[in-house]
Amino acid sequence: MVEYFVIPAVQIVVVFLAVSVMVAYMTYLERKVVAFMQARLGPMRVGYWGLLQPIADAVKLMIKEDIIPAGADKLIFTLGPVITLIPAFAVFSVIPFSGSQFSVFGYKVHLYITDVNVGILFILALSSIGVLGIILGGWSSNSKYPLLGSLRSAAQMVSYEVAMGFSVVSVLLYTHTLSMVQIVEAQKNMGWWFAVIQPIGFIIYLICGVAETNRAPFDLPEAESELVAGFHTEYSGFRFALYFLAEYANMILISSIAVTLFWGGWLAPFPNVKALAFLQVIPGLIWFLLKVYFFLYLYIWLRATLPRFRYDQLMRVGWKFLIPVAMANVILTAVLRLYLK
Amino acid sequence: MYRLTTFRPKSFFAEFFKSLFFVDLIKGLIVTFYYQKPSENITEQYPKERPRVAERFRGAPRLNKDPETGETLCIACKLCQLACPIDCIEVGSEKVEKKNVLTTFTYDIGHCMYCGLCEDACPTPALELTQDFELASYNRDFIWDRTRLENGPEIVKYKK
Repeated sequence: MVEYFVIPAVQIVVVFLAVSVMVAYMTYLERKVVAFMQARLGPMRVGYWGLLQPIADAVKLMIKEDIIPAGADKLIFTLGPVITLIPAFAVFSVIPFSGSQFSVFGYKVHLYITDVNVGILFILALSSIGVLGIILGGWSSNSKYPLLGSLRSAAQMVSYEVAMGFSVVSVLLYTHTLSMVQIVEAQKNMGWWFAVIQPIGFIIYLICGVAETNRAPFDLPEAESELVAGFHTEYSGFRFALYFLAEYANMILISSIAVTLFWGGWLAPFPNVKALAFLQVIPGLIWFLLKVYFFLYLYIWLRATLPRFRYDQLMRVGWKFLIPVAMANVILTAVLRLYLK
Repeated sequence: MYRLTTFRPKSFFAEFFKSLFFVDLIKGLIVTFYYQKPSENITEQYPKERPRVAERFRGAPRLNKDPETGETLCIACKLCQLACPIDCIEVGSEKVEKKNVLTTFTYDIGHCMYCGLCEDACPTPALELTQDFELASYNRDFIWDRTRLENGPEIVKYKK
């Protein structure tokens, strides 16, 4: 009884709070890193070196006036951000933060909320629901810019999900299981992270991940200069904060999945090499966080460096380049696994 | 007209592998990575550090007083009033023992264009345009009287 309700409830609260704080400080990190790369300093006034800036942003967004445009569908306008936000947070329940477990008052507590047999399928399914929230948000705004922005964004997300699915399948050919914990265990058994064995799959997953979250260089649907602001033009105050939160939570999610699938989850580098056993002293959770932090830094780095794709170039890359390459990768991997057994 | 660049045809395979391995992207990423040097940054943290302006910068006006006696240096000659192209200055004086003594001095900084002609016209070092550029205010009291002019600019010091 306790282990089915109380422990997961506590874990859910902890993960929810941790992800919320991480999202808030992601905004700060993004502003600082982009500023340093542009030879300026970013927020410096609020708190020491601007560390309290996310709190100021949160307060500002909460006290702003809540405007619903005339002629907008009120119910759907309200539901749009919620539909995008809930899957972004719900998927964190299957991501393994660490493989170790400890016992509290005699109950076994592991450092992931749950381990479903179909972890990857669950993740791909839930992240597709986020697209619905974007379409609803753009449609219910009763205005041309959000409509165009949301349709473009939805088309982009759908087309890059195909290639992402293929790159995930190329990993599954090695693990024979869809469960996230088992995927990390399989990397431990093989001794190599999947990024080394499947470099093409990893690169394709990264590109599709950046495109899924509508981040630069694939951020035409929400670019400030091209489309006013895309699907969240008419949103203000707390609703905009929910969309914003969903976008950054999606970023953290894609990074965590990339770490779990391709970079060994909570494992140290070269987990089976005895000579590097001193790396195992650092707990798995710290390795996981370091790797996720690297991917988040990579997201911000890409944003600061690259110009954005034009929309037709974006769709061309997705359909004419990434999907064939991902399919070829799957076929090649399957053939090699079969004949090199 | 001559071409500014020469087109050297590059080998197909070199171009193909460069685009396959994202060579130009990685070069761009390296450039932005090495740009991150916050210790060498020259951004001025404005309220803590004020910009250093030149000595001859024409900012807010000030009526100087003699440092030993504390009396005003202005001799009420009204040359500044005559010199001002916009008529911002009004000087009032009265005769005390056959000498002109300054009574009122008003200066309209709203209309003033800070050209410095009044400072040049003044025969004594009384009227001076200081280096104070922070003249924004919450109300429209643009006409400064003699006390405010003599006090000079008040610069708020920020500690953080």
